[in-house]
Amino acid sequence: MKNAVSGVGLAPDASMVTFPIPMFLPGSDLSSLKERKREFYDGLTRWKSEFTQTAGSAKMLAVEGATFEDALVKANNLLLTNLWGDGLPLWPATKERVDWILRGSTLPRTHVLGKFPPRGGITTIETCAIALAMAGGRPEYLPVLVAAVDACLAAEGFDQLQATSGGPFPAVIVNGSIAKQIRLNSGFGLLGPDPQRPAGASIGRALRLMQQNVGGALPGVGTMAIFGAMRYTNAVFAEDEEGLPPGWLPHATARHGFAPGTNSVSIVFASGVTNVRRRGAKKETPEEDALNGMWRMADFMRTPNLAALAGWEKGTPGIMMIPPIVARRMAELGWTQNSIREFLWKNSKIPMDQMRRAGAPAWIEIDANPVTRDSIKLDPWPICQKPDNIVLLVAGGGHPTHSYWLQAHSPTVEGRVIRVPETFERLLADADRDLGCGEDVCRV
Amino acid sequence: MVKLEFHDPSGVLEVTQPHAPRLTSLDGKRIGFVSNEQWQAYRMLPMLKEMLEQDFPGITVLPIDAYPQGNALIGTEETAALVKKSRVDAVIVGNAA
Repeated sequence: MKNAVSGVGLAPDASMVTFPIPMFLPGSDLSSLKERKREFYDGLTRWKSEFTQTAGSAKMLAVEGATFEDALVKANNLLLTNLWGDGLPLWPATKERVDWILRGSTLPRTHVLGKFPPRGGITTIETCAIALAMAGGRPEYLPVLVAAVDACLAAEGFDQLQATSGGPFPAVIVNGSIAKQIRLNSGFGLLGPDPQRPAGASIGRALRLMQQNVGGALPGVGTMAIFGAMRYTNAVFAEDEEGLPPGWLPHATARHGFAPGTNSVSIVFASGVTNVRRRGAKKETPEEDALNGMWRMADFMRTPNLAALAGWEKGTPGIMMIPPIVARRMAELGWTQNSIREFLWKNSKIPMDQMRRAGAPAWIEIDANPVTRDSIKLDPWPICQKPDNIVLLVAGGGHPTHSYWLQAHSPTVEGRVIRVPETFERLLADADRDLGCGEDVCRV
Repeated sequence: MVKLEFHDPSGVLEVTQPHAPRLTSLDGKRIGFVSNEQWQAYRMLPMLKEMLEQDFPGITVLPIDAYPQGNALIGTEETAALVKKSRVDAVIVGNAA
């Protein structure tokens, strides 16, 4: 257990008395409280911080091996024994590799983005480059990672999002031409690995490494994420802007007001991912097929599991992704982004008797946000304050059978414009040279 | 031998605010509780109050509801001001899990 408030400038240790979790459950045996009362008294009178200041720049580590492979193994072992790894092989962040990654920055390597909570590690452009180097990244990925880190650090309650038992993970939605340029996936399998579009894995893994190594979100110590889904790479993907039906707005424009075409990231903290079978199976008309699918999505969203509570007023209950072919068909039938969101919002409202049956009102009553607390008067209870809170994305493979719901625990949806260096075209050409020509993104 | 040098990835820590100084003794002191009302705090903190009162002569332990309770309120400036105004020598914060 670590001090959860070190990020505000206190030492990372603190005077704490910790007990195993059973004591914190209803009806628990509290006898150990009496047996260990001396620890409370000592905490008030005798405790001293053992922390030693580590100000200055990041230190260098070194290993030696008989061969390069031997040294590489030792470097990976050292990273794991220091609790800085994720179990998959890492590229040690050598000076050469970090300097190479830093070619993707518009800012000096010492530029401070903030303190990464809850541990409070000072986060610079170099810190991002070190993580990206370890995660197998490339210079052209750095602008997206820096924007994502900046957005995370600014997100409301990010310290709690890092630590909470619900284990939300950043879902990084990228808009703008940079997505294709750096080989970020918006199509088939966009949430998983794709050798032709590898950027999302490295960027997301780098962000996760920073959450753990700089922010201290170590499982069971700095983060109480009970299950911790998507924690190798988070979710970093692009909206399929070419797949948007005529008149539909890119997510970054609809949500953040960025001009269409702007390179940007948008961060939603998701706590689950679920496939929703959308397509009909028999002789439905196009209208029935669309409407049945919409009902299946709304029915799935209409659950009193309270994940959405954190984002009830300003955030989001989740991201609904529909494939481009479905978006086109629905648009042809007259559906718009607004009417889809409106339908989902209206039909995912939960009758208050079902909320009461699930013990949900108590969680609404103790919510930190007075606007959310006030929502207890609503029956049926909407899962968010207004339809626009729902993030609707056009993304995924060109296939009509499924849509995808990323349930969120997201007090805000934070957007950032991505800044690229003047030499960005050169970096993209280097990528073509190194990785081969990726579909229509080849620049050589 | 091949030597591999690489960056420590954990970032630099900077302490700008020391923890509060410890008390020399609890005898005759005034102690408060800041409670989030979670994780059985309503049972544990009164028990702790009782133990403190039994073990230290002249100690004053404020009731567990002397300050606003709950996650939404305990971190606010208003609560901090109330703690300061109550002139306690120390507070115990609970419960987290």
